Amino acid sequence: MPAAMAKSLAASKKKADRVEQEEPEEPSENGFVREYGDQEEESERSDAVGSSEDERSSGEGEKDGKDDGKIHQSSEESDSSEDEVAPRNTIGEVPLEWYKDEEHIGYDITGKKIRKHARKDKIDSFLAGVDDSKNWRKIYDEYNDEEVELTREEIRIIRRLLKGRTPHAEVDPYAPYVDWFDWEDKGHPLSNAPEPKRRFIPSKWEQKKVVQYVRAIRKGLIKFDKPKEEPPFYLLWGDDSSVAENKRHGLSYIPAPKPKLAGHEESYNPSIEYIPTQEEINSYQLMFEEDRPKFIPRRYESLRSVPAYENALKEGFDRCLDLYLCPRTRKKRINIDPESLRPKLPSKKDLKPYPLTCYLEYRGHSGPVNSISIEVSGQWIASGSTDGMVRIWEVETGRCLRVWDIGEAVQHIAWNPLPELPILAVSAGHEVHLLNTGLGDAEEKMHIKELLHVEEVLTDDAGNSASAVSWVQHEKHDGITLKHLKTVSTVEWHRKGDYFTTVMPSGDSRAVLIHQLSKKHTANPIKKLRAPAVSAVFHPTRPFFFISTKKNVRVYDLSKNKLIKKLEPGLREVSSIAIHPGGDNVIVGSKEGKMCWFDMDLSSQPYKRLPAHPKDITNVAFHRSYPLFASCSDDCTAYVFHGMVYSDLNQNPLIVPLEILHGHTSSNGRGVLDCKFHPRQPWLFTAGADSVIKLYCH
Amino acid sequence: MDANGGSMETSRQVRVRFATKLPPPLRVPTTSLAVPSNLSRMGLSEIVNHLLKNMDSGYQFQPFDFLVDGELVRMPLEQFLLAKGISAEKVLEIEYINAVAPRKQEDPCLHDDWVSAVDGSNPSFILTGCYDGLARIWKGGSVCTHILEGHSGAVTAASVINRKEESENSFYVATGSKDRSLRLWKFDAGEHVDHPLRIRAYKIFQEHTSSVQSISSAPSGDMVCSGSWDCSIKLWEVKESEAEGDSVSIKKRKLLSDAAEQESQLEGTATSTLVGHAQCVSSVVWPELQTIYSASWDHSIRQWDVQTGNETWNMVCGKALNCLDVGGESSALVVAGGSDPVLRIWDPRKPGTLAPIFQFSSHSSWITASKWHTRSWFHLLSASYDGKVMLWDLRTAWPLATIDSHKDKVLCADWWKDDSVISGGADSKLFICSGIQI
Repeated sequence: MPAAMAKSLAASKKKADRVEQEEPEEPSENGFVREYGDQEEESERSDAVGSSEDERSSGEGEKDGKDDGKIHQSSEESDSSEDEVAPRNTIGEVPLEWYKDEEHIGYDITGKKIRKHARKDKIDSFLAGVDDSKNWRKIYDEYNDEEVELTREEIRIIRRLLKGRTPHAEVDPYAPYVDWFDWEDKGHPLSNAPEPKRRFIPSKWEQKKVVQYVRAIRKGLIKFDKPKEEPPFYLLWGDDSSVAENKRHGLSYIPAPKPKLAGHEESYNPSIEYIPTQEEINSYQLMFEEDRPKFIPRRYESLRSVPAYENALKEGFDRCLDLYLCPRTRKKRINIDPESLRPKLPSKKDLKPYPLTCYLEYRGHSGPVNSISIEVSGQWIASGSTDGMVRIWEVETGRCLRVWDIGEAVQHIAWNPLPELPILAVSAGHEVHLLNTGLGDAEEKMHIKELLHVEEVLTDDAGNSASAVSWVQHEKHDGITLKHLKTVSTVEWHRKGDYFTTVMPSGDSRAVLIHQLSKKHTANPIKKLRAPAVSAVFHPTRPFFFISTKKNVRVYDLSKNKLIKKLEPGLREVSSIAIHPGGDNVIVGSKEGKMCWFDMDLSSQPYKRLPAHPKDITNVAFHRSYPLFASCSDDCTAYVFHGMVYSDLNQNPLIVPLEILHGHTSSNGRGVLDCKFHPRQPWLFTAGADSVIKLYCH
Repeated sequence: MDANGGSMETSRQVRVRFATKLPPPLRVPTTSLAVPSNLSRMGLSEIVNHLLKNMDSGYQFQPFDFLVDGELVRMPLEQFLLAKGISAEKVLEIEYINAVAPRKQEDPCLHDDWVSAVDGSNPSFILTGCYDGLARIWKGGSVCTHILEGHSGAVTAASVINRKEESENSFYVATGSKDRSLRLWKFDAGEHVDHPLRIRAYKIFQEHTSSVQSISSAPSGDMVCSGSWDCSIKLWEVKESEAEGDSVSIKKRKLLSDAAEQESQLEGTATSTLVGHAQCVSSVVWPELQTIYSASWDHSIRQWDVQTGNETWNMVCGKALNCLDVGGESSALVVAGGSDPVLRIWDPRKPGTLAPIFQFSSHSSWITASKWHTRSWFHLLSASYDGKVMLWDLRTAWPLATIDSHKDKVLCADWWKDDSVISGGADSKLFICSGIQI
């Protein structure tokens, strides 16, 4: 035992005596203190007690420091309440002797040195021990550089440890043993014997056996993978079409088509009933080669007389050709029912009525009929032809009621939409004529006569527009002639029957003019058009105005006089335009034969492009009340479509192609030049280049 | 081989007994005969003719038509029995009637323009309306005795008013025209004329605002109704109003067409207007005192009560209608033709169905006229734009006869004197086919 040890032991003995003095009920067994003390944290205390009391030599201190480091490591593992307080020491886990000669111990957070408390010298500590009766409880903690006062609880634990008992009084280390195992009815006792050694060492005999096998394999005495026995027989007529069996051939297996099994008729000596008569054999010659029977049964007296197969060589050659020319590959074919790809459309039957058959023809013109127009009530139809004639026909009978000779090829014709104003607007050459048809009753006739009267040539009252158009009384047919500067292509009425518009495709800034019949006034509201105008139409309900140029369709608001929309059909050359009576849908026909349906609320792009005519579309038309629209083309046909526009804005228009109307004949490469619906019946009028107007009825 | 087959066929026979309702010289003995089953109508007719010849050596052959179970035989007897499911074992009762076909074609009456209206309700003359604005009276179907002039537009409708008058030969007719007016005319058919007599209307009705399309006179003869393009039906009094002192409406009229004319004519006003159609009223019929039927381009047929002016029944048929007639069984069947080649017959007494009970579709274009025979329940005629007039029997689906004399559209047709069909068309001719035995 080193001297220091003995010294501290002595000190602790002294201290213990003092404790005994204070608490005489605890017996002091000094002899055991040292042995138990260095095991638990209490040993630290006892050490600390020792060190705080005794002055030490440097060697002792060094040893104590080492001791301290070890103890602190163990104390960290413990869960005593003291450790939960953060250590005040900032030096970390370094030996304290590094700071032995320093004034400070570690640094605080601001980087300043933490100064060591001034050590009490021995006299001070002695005096303190004399003054304070509880001073013996205080221990100096060198690591944290502070004095710690032991509580009564801690001292009690120390005492118990000194006496060699468990630190806590409530723990009973010698509790009676509870035998939990049920020993009854057990045949054998559970052996507590350790595992024998032989269990852990490899068997010598097994090793010998393995060596034996290895040698046998090496010598080839033992063989693996016995060769599979080929079955000596196989099913000749078996079904080799099952793909699973033939998988192992590697390539994807295509079963060869099964030939029919041979029957009686293929026998060399079949019964009489199998042998065809000569007539039948002759009749085979009349059949198609593919339909002829491949094998004609014949009769031979014996098998000897059966000749060689005459086609053997040819068929062998064919087979070789097949193998050479037709690699047997599997074509990946997608099996889709073509019907399923078709869009679901309602059947045509449900969409009746629509124009179907031509029952009436209106014959009388001697040139291509350029334009037709039907009176609002549907009783009369007017037509204009390149032979310079304007005719009025009775729809019901096909009777020509009246003829005007305009003298120039009529381009376009339009009936005034008011039933009480049966006036025709006819564009021919540079002129637009307003003709009095004389169909109204006496009172209306008077009114029309007044309306169609111009006193003098109205000129120079409004510079610009007057120079574009002059209103002149027509002498021959009581009416008005509007003389334009350029050729007028179309003339269209406003729904109220007072305004009408004319289009001069080559009129530049004056291409589109709006005329007022009651005031005999002409206005030119739209001056700037990028492309040559084709036609102009009024909106059926609102003050909008549609001008179709060759490239696009422009929609103007006439009340504000500005462009509100531009529809882009994306077609090569627009030829015609029609507005749905609801006013929100527009169809545009083009010279390349395509037709576009625009939903004005949707976008300026077409809602749908419709099947193409092989030739130019000459006109498109909507029905006023039935959900029908039509297009006519130079290919001598007119297409009729079902075009349902729903009042529900969320529902897109339903478009179903219904019928292709044939009947017109081509003349000079032109086919059907105009098509118009009857205003009240689901009937379509078509005007052809063959100078006939046809009426298609439902 | 054929001969063999033929013998096989002929061996099959049907026992028949001929019966008829025709008068005695045309009756055959009622004994049953065995006839080959492949005989058609022609063969049967031959047998009957031979039987009649046996009875009376001076007999002239004539065609007959044969009825089995109320159906005309239109195919070989065997086929017919098979189709109708009639047993060939029993003795077959065959009724024979005179074949309905025109036997004689009279000379056509030439007009100056399209013949658009014809009325043959009076056996002594035919009334025609023409597109030149004149109506004509053809006495006996051959001579034009009167020309009714005054309309400034094409005459589209004409009707003879069957009025009981004091004098035997005085007749009233009404015409309607595209000049929106109706005119009533009175003429004396008794007077002998060398030249057609030009007469003027005694009364003019001007209230229609559009072309008059159809006219029908009441059975009593004191009213006329007219259908027009202005969608209305108007009823007019026929009475000669100067007797009534209807002086308010008397005024001098200056006709636009003829300014020199200064004759005083009466103007009448409509007693009532039946409103309900949405489009041109193309045809009106007044079969009974209290009911008017009308057909319109708005695809409907309506029945009106004259007293109240209310619509009592209507039916939508899906096609624009051009012509209408009421007749047949107890004068209740409605026949109408329109903007398709199908002649349809409805029975308004059947409730809850709009399906036509008969449909005849041998025409190839619009039907412009359809008329029931006045006496027969089964016979009717139809005229079409395909230039044909067809006679129909309800007991078979094939036309009895087709009159193909028109070169252009047939615009109007009617029965005349019970045994003739008169038809006018766009070739400006009025054809009369007579000798139809019904």
